[in-house]
Amino acid sequence: MKFSTRILIVDDEEMICESLQAWFVRDGYQVETALSGEAALKIVENSPADIYLVDIKMPHMDGIEFLTRLKECQPNAIVVMMTAHGTVQTAVEAMKRGAMDYFCKPFDPDELSLFMERILANKALREENNTLKELLSESNQQGLSEVFIVHSEPMRAIFSKIEEVAPSSAPILITGETGVGKDMVAKAIHFRSERSCGPFLAVNCGSLSESILESELFGHEKGAFTGAVKARRGRLEMAHNGTLFLDEVGEISQKMQVSLLRAIEEKSFLRLGGSQPISSDFRLISATHRDLPSLIKEKQFRDDFYYRINVITIDVPPLRERLDDIPVLADHFLKRYAEETGKSLGGFTHKAIDLLSSYHWPGNIRELRNVVERAVVIARGRMIGAEELTFVNPRHDAGLIGSATLRELEINQIKAALESCNWNIVRSSKRLGIDRSTLMRKMKRYRLDRC
Amino acid sequence: MARKGSRKTGESHIDIVPIGHVDALAVSVVAANLQTLMGLNADTLPLHPEPEYAYLAVRSQYAAGKIIKELESIDEGSRFKLGIVQCDLCTPILKFVFGESQLGGKAAVISLHRLQDKDPARTYLRAAKIGLHETGHLLGIGHCQTHDCLMAFVSTIEKLDGQPARFCTACQYEISRTLKYIFG
Ligand SMILES: Nc1ncnc2c1ncn2[C@@H]1O[C@H](COP(=O)(O)OP(=O)(O)OP(=O)(O)O)[C@@H](O)[C@H]1O
Ligand SMILES: [Mg+2]
Ligand SMILES: [Zn+2]
Ligand SMILES: [Zn+2]
Repeated sequence: MKFSTRILIVDDEEMICESLQAWFVRDGYQVETALSGEAALKIVENSPADIYLVDIKMPHMDGIEFLTRLKECQPNAIVVMMTAHGTVQTAVEAMKRGAMDYFCKPFDPDELSLFMERILANKALREENNTLKELLSESNQQGLSEVFIVHSEPMRAIFSKIEEVAPSSAPILITGETGVGKDMVAKAIHFRSERSCGPFLAVNCGSLSESILESELFGHEKGAFTGAVKARRGRLEMAHNGTLFLDEVGEISQKMQVSLLRAIEEKSFLRLGGSQPISSDFRLISATHRDLPSLIKEKQFRDDFYYRINVITIDVPPLRERLDDIPVLADHFLKRYAEETGKSLGGFTHKAIDLLSSYHWPGNIRELRNVVERAVVIARGRMIGAEELTFVNPRHDAGLIGSATLRELEINQIKAALESCNWNIVRSSKRLGIDRSTLMRKMKRYRLDRC
Repeated sequence: MARKGSRKTGESHIDIVPIGHVDALAVSVVAANLQTLMGLNADTLPLHPEPEYAYLAVRSQYAAGKIIKELESIDEGSRFKLGIVQCDLCTPILKFVFGESQLGGKAAVISLHRLQDKDPARTYLRAAKIGLHETGHLLGIGHCQTHDCLMAFVSTIEKLDGQPARFCTACQYEISRTLKYIFG
């Protein structure tokens, strides 16, 4: 966030401007300076900054006047006043007129860095309140924060629904194709609910074997099975006062559905090998890319469990149904990866954007992210062009079939499945309709490996 | 002269300039750390006089910027100069600094004044950390968001002591890349 933050320093003393500029540049900000209020207003006209550091005492237009004029055209600007003489009176006046804070020159280094942290936090807060554009969702484990882009009409609708349903404790089912952002939606709900201080525990039901999943969810007592050398708390127990996220809930066996159903209804359960009921108060969010109603028809999913987990449904549409999001997301990932790799990239060419918008995105946003990441790595110029975009699963209906051999088609199919399942073997093999060992054999034969 | 002549091309190097009365051991420890952590060979130039030109009577401190300018004007030796002083340093906007550097420039300076501890080994370690940080800036590296990296900004002596004496992998990579680019 820091790196895209622009600071404008307004001070009539050149040395102060230079010194402050040097400090902020080293700290990773984009910094401009102006030696007078008038000069600063000119800059504001063309390209407003995010944060302004303004000296109170300046000849001609003083800091207070600049502040007043600035607030007329940019009411949400973050303005910090600086004073060399500790004139508390004027500082108070500045705060009344909308300055966020003031400090005395010279600054204490610690004060300055704490101060900037506070301003940045505040800036994030305001952005969240002011626009629907991005919603900061925090990842529970690493405390990383990822930006959730909300741009297109369908995504805005989802965002308002998230806000509407977050406060209650009703179970939510998030549906949508792979890679559309179901995880992100789940986290967004948790972090906007009253349980946000509690844990957010995710269990990927598709990637664990039945017995491991069972002890993962319910925990076990010492000696419950060979290898259970110590008692262990399960996710249900750990999610107390927080949110339990059952990802790929469509993959749960019917037997497990029964146990879970009971635990949800009674709000209590037994650890494996245990006899003491354990109660836990959690909110349940589930997600699946599968069509549960048709699984129910095929008797592969229990309807009583379905009704229990599906009190509220949030359906996240595939990327090809929200074309407006494509340029915004592509740009977002471009910035992120350019920053990570230290490349300076301006954006995408028109051709590239057209190509991105016409692709069918079977792996949705995850696939878009991978395509952009790759393009950033191989990019040579300042702009990413169409030729730098490589898709794992180009449309075959575009005449490719005739020229491709059966072997090539198979490789493409397998690659696409792996890619869209994030290289999860179990899920990919299900998707391809072959068993796990066959898939692994084929991967070996075709030397398919995550690159 | 012999020193200059002994430099092989392709060898990364920096000159350390003791300014005024400074603890010679601190200078050696800083030099040793530049060598081991950054792969920069450090030569120590002869002592420079006390920086009276940088004294600010109103603040009873020394202007870091003026000392850097002075270091910049030394023509001989390495393209990089790291000054070490005992006196207290400040900048126009900061009440004090442990060190100051030109981002991607020629010269930097560090002060032992606020790094002093009863245990001299601790003082030297602090000086080495600040020296490495400021030298990182000389190579064009800005502040790092990784907390346990020497390129993170530290504003207090406690935070400095809590910082491990190493660069994160990203900064380390940048350092070797830049040195390779500059010294071939
Ligand atoms: N609206 C969004 N803004 C920014 N990034 C997004 C958005 N939606 C998804 N992503 C990114 O796309 C990737 C896939 O998202 P996520 O894991 O939430 O998808 P999913 O639907 O849960 O996928 P799967 O079905 O495979 O579990 C993640 O890296 C996520 O950061
Ligand atoms: Mg997911
Ligand atoms: Zn620094
Ligand atoms: Zn670092």
